[in-house]
Amino acid sequence: MSLLDSLAAGFALVGNVEAFFMLFCGLIIGVVGGAIPGLSATMAVALTLPFTFAMTPINGILLLLGVYKGGIFGGSIPAILIKTPGTPASSATILDGHPLAERGEAGRALGMALYASCTADAVSNLALILFAGWLASFALNFGPPEFFALILFSLTIIAGVSGESLLRGALSALAGLLLATVGLDLIYGTNRFTFGDPNMMGGLNFIAVLIGLFAIPEIIAMAWNPVAHLGKTRALGKSRCSLADYLGSFKSIIRGSMIGVFLGSIPGIGAAPSAFLSYSEARRTSKNKANFGKGEIEGVAASEAGNNGVAGATLIPLLALGVPGDVITAIIIGAFMVHGLQPGPMMFVLNADIIYGLFIGLIVSSVFLLVVGSVAIRGFRFVADVPKRILMPGVLVLCIYGVFAVNNNIFDVGVMFVMGWLGYVMMRNRIPAAPFLIAFILGPLLEDNFRQSMLMSGSDPLILFRGPITWAFWTLTAITVFAITRSTLRQKVPLS
Amino acid sequence: MSQKSLHLRLGIVVVLCALFLVFYAIPSFVFAPSNVGNIVLSPLFWPFVLAGLAGLVGVGLLASGFSSDDTPFEDAETGPSDGSAGWLRLLGLAAIMLIVMFALPRLGMVWTSMLAFVACAFLFRTRHPMIAVICAIVVPLLLYAFFAHVAGVAIPQGHFVRLP
Repeated sequence: MSLLDSLAAGFALVGNVEAFFMLFCGLIIGVVGGAIPGLSATMAVALTLPFTFAMTPINGILLLLGVYKGGIFGGSIPAILIKTPGTPASSATILDGHPLAERGEAGRALGMALYASCTADAVSNLALILFAGWLASFALNFGPPEFFALILFSLTIIAGVSGESLLRGALSALAGLLLATVGLDLIYGTNRFTFGDPNMMGGLNFIAVLIGLFAIPEIIAMAWNPVAHLGKTRALGKSRCSLADYLGSFKSIIRGSMIGVFLGSIPGIGAAPSAFLSYSEARRTSKNKANFGKGEIEGVAASEAGNNGVAGATLIPLLALGVPGDVITAIIIGAFMVHGLQPGPMMFVLNADIIYGLFIGLIVSSVFLLVVGSVAIRGFRFVADVPKRILMPGVLVLCIYGVFAVNNNIFDVGVMFVMGWLGYVMMRNRIPAAPFLIAFILGPLLEDNFRQSMLMSGSDPLILFRGPITWAFWTLTAITVFAITRSTLRQKVPLS
Repeated sequence: MSQKSLHLRLGIVVVLCALFLVFYAIPSFVFAPSNVGNIVLSPLFWPFVLAGLAGLVGVGLLASGFSSDDTPFEDAETGPSDGSAGWLRLLGLAAIMLIVMFALPRLGMVWTSMLAFVACAFLFRTRHPMIAVICAIVVPLLLYAFFAHVAGVAIPQGHFVRLP
């Protein structure tokens, strides 16, 4: 299929009101979900997932992508107005956004957050469209040893950078890999940790695990401290973001977008580090360096561009290699699987219409975000007033319905509750949940590729180092472990 | 809590779990055919590798715990202001979840969800009890309408009151 054919097929798939309506609804849900502190973009995507089961694949995935993009922007609203990031990615926005709000310039800060987010989102989408196809065609040369080395590299980097400690990240990833072994063995069909229960023979349900890990711990945390979320909302004020503000910060926005694209395309790094790196680069190079941290509009622009630049780029490894770059794309991979699609290089061959349909939807999403975001800024007070102690029981009920709907199985609801308590224990012990979930998804793929490699080579482990691609991934894995260990040791022994 | 105490505690738990897996759980609950020629292709191989790696991470956590200083984390959680009531609420939520599991096949999903909603809202000490009760009725009904009539999911109805 030529590029034009693929584009035409993509247009045919999304060229209807329903697809764009889903995208629009997704953005609204995402902005509202991201704007409610404690709900987060991740939880919003996880809770929306069950509603996509009844939709066509393209509509369901567009809805989730809308929630993702809306959620990342939505997180900046409470970060600026109540000094509480709606998503971890918005933490950097607080640094200058809240001081601006305290000076009565919240409207200006939020306007800049929106324009920077939309610009970065468009840049990120462009990068996705340009690079995903190229990477996928390159990945068509991959065999089991290359995929094994790639997945191992992804897991190493995810375990290393998604928390504060490589050891705790590795522990989380190993626990996820162990949980993924539950069920029937891939080759021999024998039982592994099924305890004779037929419900466990197909392995634990992915959606029960993810909702359990990312939604239930927030409900449990609410039981632990029901008043932790209370904060004071600042007024919008009369000032608005001007064209001069935007143009003055344009360099930082583009730089932040590029940083977001680069970090987003590496599995595991995510939006928060990108936002902080973009912010620190803007501060380093700005003429108004001294104002950063005291209410500098360029700081808001840089941090928002950094975190939104990631949104499209995280889809590059997901679509091209089938490797989720962060938790949200791990949830989105679940949506693909539920609809019988397997992201990866072959998807560009077998389902090119869906890929190009998604690209078209993503381009439109940047424009929709501008509309939804403008309304959301004015309507935040209503969102902030939603009583969280009523919202969380609602989330619990939604989780129960959503998880049951996957397989019509009450056992999955039990799995979700157990995973919820596990997620809460991990949260209290500062063990990141992202490596757990991503390892749980990639675990069967890792083991399968390892065993296929061994079958191909007659159990010669040297096949795992058979060519330049595997060597490249092994080298990157070693460099990652070395760099993270060195930075951990440096933190322990501060330079005097 | 400091990194030292956290890593020491985690290290001990992880090493014990790894030992439990290697010496009891994997031999007892992972089954391999007797005719597997090569150990790396056996269903037992991967769980043993993972358990071994977990043991190494546990040892690493212990080593890191011994070498870390006892400075508390900057953002260490101080816990709820009402002391032991936090633990009681956690216990209450666990009980709600257990009751939900027990009641789902008997009462049905809609009625169980309504009760769970109300119980949770009061457990979280809501300041809007009337709104909570109204939401407890409306939210499960709306979700039932969507999942049963739009998505075509067979929502459990229970033995007592059945919905259309």
